[in-house]
Parts: sequence; structure tokens; C-alpha cells
Amino acid sequence: MRALTWHGEKDVRVSEVPRPEIVEPTDAIVEITATAICGSDLHLYNDRMPGMREGDVLGHEPMGEVVETGDEVENLEVGDRVVVPFTISCGSCWFCEEDLYSLCDNSNPNAEMARKMMGQSPAGLFGYSHLLGGYAGGQAEYLRVPYADVGPIKIESDVPDEQVLFLSDVFPTGYMAAENADIEPEDTVAVWGCGPVGQFAVQSAQMMGANQVIAIDRVPERLEMAGTHGDAETINYEHADVYDQLMSMTGGRGPDRCIDAVGTEAHGTGLDGVSDRVKEGAKLQDDRPYVLREAIKCCRKGGTLSVPGVYLGRANVPFGPLMNKALTVKTGQTHMQRYLDPLLGKIEEGEIDPSFIISHQVGLEDGPEMYQTFNDKEDDCIKVVMTP
Amino acid sequence: MSEHSFDSAVEEVSNSMHPGASAGAESNRSRWKRVGTVALGGALVAFGLRRRSLGGTVLALVGGALSYRTLSDYLSDAGGTEPVERSITIDKPADELSDLARDPENLERIVGHFADVSAVGDERYRWSAAGPLARELSWEMEITTDESGERLRWETVDDDASGALFDAWSLSFDSAPGDRGTEVTLEVRLDPPGGTAGSAAVERLDVVPESLVGTALDRFKSLAETGTVPTTENRPSARGRGDLL
Repeated sequence: MRALTWHGEKDVRVSEVPRPEIVEPTDAIVEITATAICGSDLHLYNDRMPGMREGDVLGHEPMGEVVETGDEVENLEVGDRVVVPFTISCGSCWFCEEDLYSLCDNSNPNAEMARKMMGQSPAGLFGYSHLLGGYAGGQAEYLRVPYADVGPIKIESDVPDEQVLFLSDVFPTGYMAAENADIEPEDTVAVWGCGPVGQFAVQSAQMMGANQVIAIDRVPERLEMAGTHGDAETINYEHADVYDQLMSMTGGRGPDRCIDAVGTEAHGTGLDGVSDRVKEGAKLQDDRPYVLREAIKCCRKGGTLSVPGVYLGRANVPFGPLMNKALTVKTGQTHMQRYLDPLLGKIEEGEIDPSFIISHQVGLEDGPEMYQTFNDKEDDCIKVVMTP
Repeated sequence: MSEHSFDSAVEEVSNSMHPGASAGAESNRSRWKRVGTVALGGALVAFGLRRRSLGGTVLALVGGALSYRTLSDYLSDAGGTEPVERSITIDKPADELSDLARDPENLERIVGHFADVSAVGDERYRWSAAGPLARELSWEMEITTDESGERLRWETVDDDASGALFDAWSLSFDSAPGDRGTEVTLEVRLDPPGGTAGSAAVERLDVVPESLVGTALDRFKSLAETGTVPTTENRPSARGRGDLL
């Protein structure tokens, strides 16, 4: 079958790879009908995530049709149309039972290695390094789905792929980001980063009753999207000082809730941004936590900082302000299974149509070029969907 | 050596270190040296290797050197027989877990990342594992303590010419607080072939004890909680299929 494979920094190729097979009786094989490139795939594209090997199949935002099931799979049948969430969860461990699916104890076969780096291993993920499982990803014609009774959600209505595909990651991730921000009515919510996760965080904050949502980015079409689709006020950080602007928009209080939907590869401005790049170059830090620092500085005292943005290792963060301002920080990969049913409901009821983020629809063979376009923020690229 | 998880993780890091190197062409010796590197200097190595720059390589080498030294010192001090102990919490009752661990088929799956196990008598098991230079280690162990739901202990009974990897494999079970299940502790007393201490023993051992014990507990937990051990066997990639090693 054809698949997009990783071969090093800025080197993604279309390769012919073996078709996946049922290995465990709890597996299913899904024929992919739509698959997206995620912003966090760019951390792999830029070779920032440890544990990739040449030839690994990429992708963790797939959907398709079940073509084979293992003997013990009960919830799925051949022919079912499913969206596959990016986290792999066993459904049986204490964390899964507590609805903390992205912390599953059992789905990472390389847990020992992850433990060396993090103290404990989170769940395995599709197509996201050997540190997080080494599972083949879904930017391919077929995907093996372990614990098939736990992850995939069946789509029984005739809602098109484009509307339900983002249940695989970015919609629930933006939604959990807003939920983690503990939004209350009358709150002002600031969202750094207007990629797909930021866009869904903006809209979810609105759904949760925020009084005012402020979106921060530097890409005009992303800001425009947050304004028109998400009813957000916007700040282009290349044209204005974000702290000054936020203070003037909030009467000097600062936003009550701050969401960092950027993560490790923030493009900081000014001396602070330069300093991040220098520390990164000198191996003094693994991330560029510019947004994290700015959010801590801007956030209202006693406010909440929600971090859906992906960080990788050591980040130089001002802990003093965080403590003295009594901020609450909530983080984590998305506990996908918590959100699949309720968010599918919102789509089916027409409350939201997630397909608004799609800027490019192409075949799998255009994947390598699209990785570059998306990474360089060219051609108004916000979200790429591929059909194998 | 059977296919298994920490091997693939190790191989992945070593391939980062030597991009383009063929795993199959590497000697056991160099491979297991890297197991040591990864297991104890893991964080440093992984962080250092993120970018294949000079700085990253230096960091990785320092991490590797530190961990190798640590392990060598540790084995010298211990004379190669200091037990390695790790714990994990499994969401199942203790007696169920001790029944599971006693069954040779289950034990085989738990230790499948480094050894094969078969029953040769009621409470006697034959273990075998791949040693250095394709040498097979093989030894028999017998249950010497069997307190259901509390303690299970195997000891090596025939340390024949081919050698044993360890001389005791001991599981103890304690109730975890709340609804967490059971705290399972695995203690392994190493008995490397030749019995010498230091770096030579590490190479003869073919394993990093901490990783071996940690992964065995992970597999025990997965088997108990889900009925399967997670695997990426037959994973498709541009390298082909089933490339765990």
C-alpha cells in the first residue's frame, strides 16, 4: 500500500509499504478514506521529536471503513465507518477507567524508554515516534487499530467525512483546551495560536459562554478565520505588543483564562524570542516556550493557563510569576474518548461544522509537498486533508 | 532473542546515532553496549540525539558514558549478585495475579522480550535466553516459595554449563490503596555467566537489568489488565515489515 513516511528533517516521502495485518485479537484494520496533517506532525517534520526512525509511517488524524476485525472485537464490524482518535487506549487500566485516556498505562510497548525520559509513560500514539509506541500512522491506505473496541467511534449518520474527520484530534483537543481553562460566563479568554486547535479552542470557549475571546497569531488568514468563524477579537503579534494590547482590552486585569495552542515551536518576537533560539541552539532547552512565558505574564491573577500545545522536554519557564500570581495550569494530550460522543452529537445537530478549517484537499501523493506548504504557512494553508 | 519492545526502542535510538546503519549487521556486543547506554543515560541520550549535531552527540556520549560507568561500578560493588527490584501497580486482585504469574504460558508472555519459558515439571520451569555471540543461555528454575496472593519465588536449580542469567526471580504482592489494585514487586538476583563483575559482566549479561525488570512488569500488567501485551509486530514502514530489531 502507499503511505507517507518520515526520512529525516523536512523529508517526507510517498512510499510503498506492506499492508498492516491483525496481530492481536483485539485489533481492527481500517481502510482510510480521509486523513489530515496535524500541526504537531510539523514537530516531526522539523525533526524536533526524539524517537523517529527513517521509514516510519506518519499520521494520526484518520478515518475510514473497517475491513477486518480480530476475533475478540465486539463493537465494530466490517463495513463500519469510523473515525480513529490519535491516542491509543486499552480501556481497562485505572487511567482509562478514570477517563484519563491519554495516560493509558498499557498501550505503549516502549513504556520503559518513555519512563526514562518522563518518569511515567503516557499512552501510545499513532505515527508519533517510538518513544510513544512506535505504531504506524494513518497517512496511508490502511491502518492497524489496536484495542479496536475502545478507540474508534462509529459514524452512523451520513455526515460527510470532512465534517467528522477532525474528531480524530484537533476538534476534541481544542475543546479540551477550553474545558481545561475552566471558563465561566463573563470571562475573557485569550488563545495564542490560530491553527486548527486554536480555532476550535476559540469556538469551544464561545460555546462555554465566554464573554470575550481574543485570538493571537501573526498569520492574517488565521486571524480572519478566528474573527469570522469564532467571533473573536484578534491581535497580530507582529504588529502590536501582546501584553500591552491585552491589558488595554481587559482594563489592566489580564485575560481570566489563557490557552497556549502553539507549543514548542513558538516564533517569539524581540529579545525574548532571540533568547529562546539561542538557548535552544546551545542545547540549554528543548522547547521555545515564548508563548508560555507571555501567557504567564498576561494572565489575570488567580486565572487559569491551559496548555494543549505540544512540548517536548526542558522549557525555561518563569516559575516565580506563576506561583506568585497563583495561576492554575492544566495540560495533557487529549483524553479523546471522553469527547467523541458529545462532539459527534454537536456536529450531527449542526451546532458546529468543523470542515471550516480545511484549506487544502489533495491526494496522498501530494502529501510531501503539502507538509512543506503547511510548515511554511504558504498558500493560506491552515488544514490539509488527504484522500488515499 | 525474540522480538520485543525495549529492543526496538534501543534500536531506534542507536539508528539515530548511526543513521543508515543496518540493524542486522551490528554485532551483539555493540548492540548491548547501547542497551546499557539507553537504559541508564536514557534521558540525556534521547535529548542529546534529538539533533544530530556535534553538541547533541557530545551530550549523548556523556550520558552514555555516565550510565555505563554507573552500571559498571554498581556491578563491581555488588559482585554481580545484587538484586534488582522494581514495582508496578496492577488493577487486579493479588491472588489472580499470582495465579497468572505461575502459569508457564503467561510467564512466557511476560518475559517474552528476553526469554522463553516452558514447564518441565509441576513447579519447575526451563528458561532460555539469547546470550552474547549467539550463545544460548539455558537454565532451570523451581518455585521455592508459593504463598498465593503474597509471594512467589523461583530459584535456579541446575546451573549447568550453558549458564543462568539470574539465580532468583521473586514476585511479591501487596494491596494498593483505594481501588488501585495490587502493588507488584519483582526482584531479580543476577548471576551473570562467568560471575565476573564490572563491564565484562554487562556484556556477558546481554541485558540491562533495570530495563529487563521494568519491561517484564509492564508486560505482566498489560497481560493482567487487557489480556494482551502491546506490540508493534508487523508494523508497516518503508523499512518493510516486522522490523522490531
